[in-house]
Amino acid sequence: MTYPVRVFFVGGLLSYRALFTWLTPWILIPTFLVAPIFQILLFAYIGRSANLQSDEFYVVGNALQYTSLPCLFAMANMLGDERWSQTLGILLSSPASRLALFLGRSLPVILNGALVGAFGFVAGTLILDVHVMASAFAPLALVILVTAVSCTGLGLVNGAIGLRVRESAVSSNILFGFLLVMCGVNVPLDELPGWMEAISSVLPLTHGIEAARELADGASLGDVSGLVATELGIGVVWAVIGCSLLRFLEVEARRRATLESS
Amino acid sequence: MRTARLLLLGWLLQLKVMMRSAFNGVLSVVWPMFFATTAFFMYRAGRDEATLVYASLGASVMGIWSATSTSASSVLQRERRHGTLELLAAAPANFAYILIPISVAMSTIGLYSMIATLLWGRFVFGIELHLVHPLLFVLAVPVTIASVGALGFLLSVACVRYRSAWALGNALEYPVWLICGFLVPLALLPNWVGPISWVLAPTFGVRAIREAALGGTPVADLLACAGLGVAYFGAGILLADHVLRLARKSAALQLS
Amino acid sequence: MSGGQSLGHAPAARGRSGHVPGTVPRTRPRRHARTTTRPAQRRNAAGGGGVGSLTIVAVIEARDLRRTYKTSTGTFRRRSLEVEAVRGVTFGVEQGELFGLLGPNGAGKTTTIKMLITLLIPTDGTASVLGFDVVKDAREVRKRIGYVFGGDRGLYDRLSGHDNLRYFAELYAVPPREQRPRIAELFELVGLSGREKERVEGYSRGMRQRLHIARGLLHDPPVVFLDEPTIGVDPVGARELRATIAQLVEAGKTVLLTTHYMFEADQLCDRIAVIARGEIVAEGTPAALKANVSEGGVVEVEVFGIEDASVERLRALEGVHSVNVEPREQAQVLVVQTDGRELTHALLAQLDGAQVGRVSAREPTLEDAYVSLVSES
Repeated sequence: MTYPVRVFFVGGLLSYRALFTWLTPWILIPTFLVAPIFQILLFAYIGRSANLQSDEFYVVGNALQYTSLPCLFAMANMLGDERWSQTLGILLSSPASRLALFLGRSLPVILNGALVGAFGFVAGTLILDVHVMASAFAPLALVILVTAVSCTGLGLVNGAIGLRVRESAVSSNILFGFLLVMCGVNVPLDELPGWMEAISSVLPLTHGIEAARELADGASLGDVSGLVATELGIGVVWAVIGCSLLRFLEVEARRRATLESS
Repeated sequence: MRTARLLLLGWLLQLKVMMRSAFNGVLSVVWPMFFATTAFFMYRAGRDEATLVYASLGASVMGIWSATSTSASSVLQRERRHGTLELLAAAPANFAYILIPISVAMSTIGLYSMIATLLWGRFVFGIELHLVHPLLFVLAVPVTIASVGALGFLLSVACVRYRSAWALGNALEYPVWLICGFLVPLALLPNWVGPISWVLAPTFGVRAIREAALGGTPVADLLACAGLGVAYFGAGILLADHVLRLARKSAALQLS
Repeated sequence: MSGGQSLGHAPAARGRSGHVPGTVPRTRPRRHARTTTRPAQRRNAAGGGGVGSLTIVAVIEARDLRRTYKTSTGTFRRRSLEVEAVRGVTFGVEQGELFGLLGPNGAGKTTTIKMLITLLIPTDGTASVLGFDVVKDAREVRKRIGYVFGGDRGLYDRLSGHDNLRYFAELYAVPPREQRPRIAELFELVGLSGREKERVEGYSRGMRQRLHIARGLLHDPPVVFLDEPTIGVDPVGARELRATIAQLVEAGKTVLLTTHYMFEADQLCDRIAVIARGEIVAEGTPAALKANVSEGGVVEVEVFGIEDASVERLRALEGVHSVNVEPREQAQVLVVQTDGRELTHALLAQLDGAQVGRVSAREPTLEDAYVSLVSES
């Protein structure tokens, strides 16, 4: 029983380090620290220019939405890199529990996303002078973590698409864009067309952002527990879809011998 | 004369290379449209027609900057991967004159995005555009493209030496959108942002395009935009040899 | 083996004309080998031999070239390491010569060549091409050299072969009027006529390599640098490439070639410098290198399991030049290079205790010389 757990932690951490040794401060800081701040500022100022929502609305929305960036890219890169370095075939043919394997790889991604989201939120509130009660911080951290989990679930699906399509950057960017437009990040859900609202209800971020906004406005964790649970559930569903897709692609690739192709 | 040939041929051929890379093209059009769409939704809620037109014009230029800032660095990485960066550096021609056409070609690709965004705004959000100074509008577009290309050229000069400069290029995407007044009037930003925006050519490019469409004094802005572009070219040309030397010292021209 | 063995400095070994039996006959007479330590003199690029005086001009000259790379390791705590890729390389190449830099992967060949073509600045030492310093007069050097490297890279895949050459012709300042005829001529030379309009992404590796050579020759440079040009090319294609390279020298160009194929260096080059671990370990004409080797002998001993200590004892034996251990299925083969004397008994005595299989003695080949030079001895 301990073997899958070991695979989960050790495998995940090792693979993350191996694949991310290129992350230097020169890449980390602009991508994960500078960019989210400016996304927050951009939309906060648009909001101000047309007298729309409060600064807090945009800080919460964009900080959480930006967690999807590392989740989407990292997952896709990891799988893509595995194929490129031809370890994917070895990986998929190893007896280690597949679930433990891929969940293990998700752990660093989730943490990465959560940290980015938390940083964006704190920086945004400081720069725009948004006041959030101290008691809300712990529940907010939880919501950010849950949102990162659900985004990583979507990231698994994205990674699977990336394996098939061979250029994961496109799908990562496109998914990021859809999340930006649809999940109530900058536009309240009721102002979006009906069909967009419907789609957004099954996407990550939507419930997490709503929960976070309510928490920032003074609600308690109990009040938003339903939203948080839904967010988590959505993440799990996407993760399952992602794993199934990977399994399917693996079978297909074995048939067509495309698993190792560059 | 030879320089002119080099610049022109370089621009044409690099444009050919970029246009034939389908995925790049799709992304360079689609990416800014996500942001434009969000902005349109936001402004539509504000129910101000003029603001929507304002936003539409600004949003259309977003793609030109995105195409430049994000590609400036990745194109050089691609040249590195293809092994052609070394060949460019080993050529006797002035390295700056080799890089300039690459970045201007990148900005030219942004034209796709500009057209797509304007059409999107028109047909999906009903944003109608009536040009007050059509000729100046048509002139403002290439001038903006060239001067944004010049800014991209400065960026790529940095990328020659620093292999991770691509991340910086990506991170500059949002700030320029904000600081150069693409979607938000500069008056709303803190005072100290003003001087920064005045040294960035896109500020005047966007203004020129807006005023050519909506009325105003586009010529002054056009001249400012062009002037800044020339200044960027000059600075880059002076720096290029120096940066190339640094790259030769630190073996940054090769992939590993 | 300490320092560098300079083979062929003995006058008797030099100045041999005619070809060594067993090799492909040269299409042009071998030049008299000369020493290369005289300082370079500025000369016009037209070159041409026989100035009347005996001062030797080195077209390419490297003096104690060194190059260090800094790399970093570790994820969270980065440590920087310094790797000395080239550790004091000195050699000269004369007008009209085809000079080979032979060595295994990682020996420093590519680094050396990149320093000579101005892409890397040496950490120490100097180099000049046609009298121009590679650091101070980089632009002058670039105007006069062609650079070709092997592999798939170095071309714009999405452009046609013709467009690629047009672009580089412009970069190399080929006069506009001459561009079109020159490009057509080069396509002819490398055997790609008729494929100009196709995109390079559809070319085979051999074709890409040929286009690459065409590119390097656009501005008709007097000096051409070829970095492993036949790597990964099929045998037939590689043979054609080598013929093209030989033609370059016949046309009067000076060529520096790097390769790890020993037979290629042997077949093509007037002189070879063997480089390993950043240093030149031997230099001379192929004939001289072989002559040095043919004085010795090789004993191959098959063993089933051997200790390092035993190998060291063998190395220490008088008359033994080097010992290489080669794995072969279930066993190892000790390839012992000797100075020619009868050593079989002595060798076997040292191997007392180990299980020994076949023992054979044979003449050394150039490959043995090469292997012993470049491997750890």
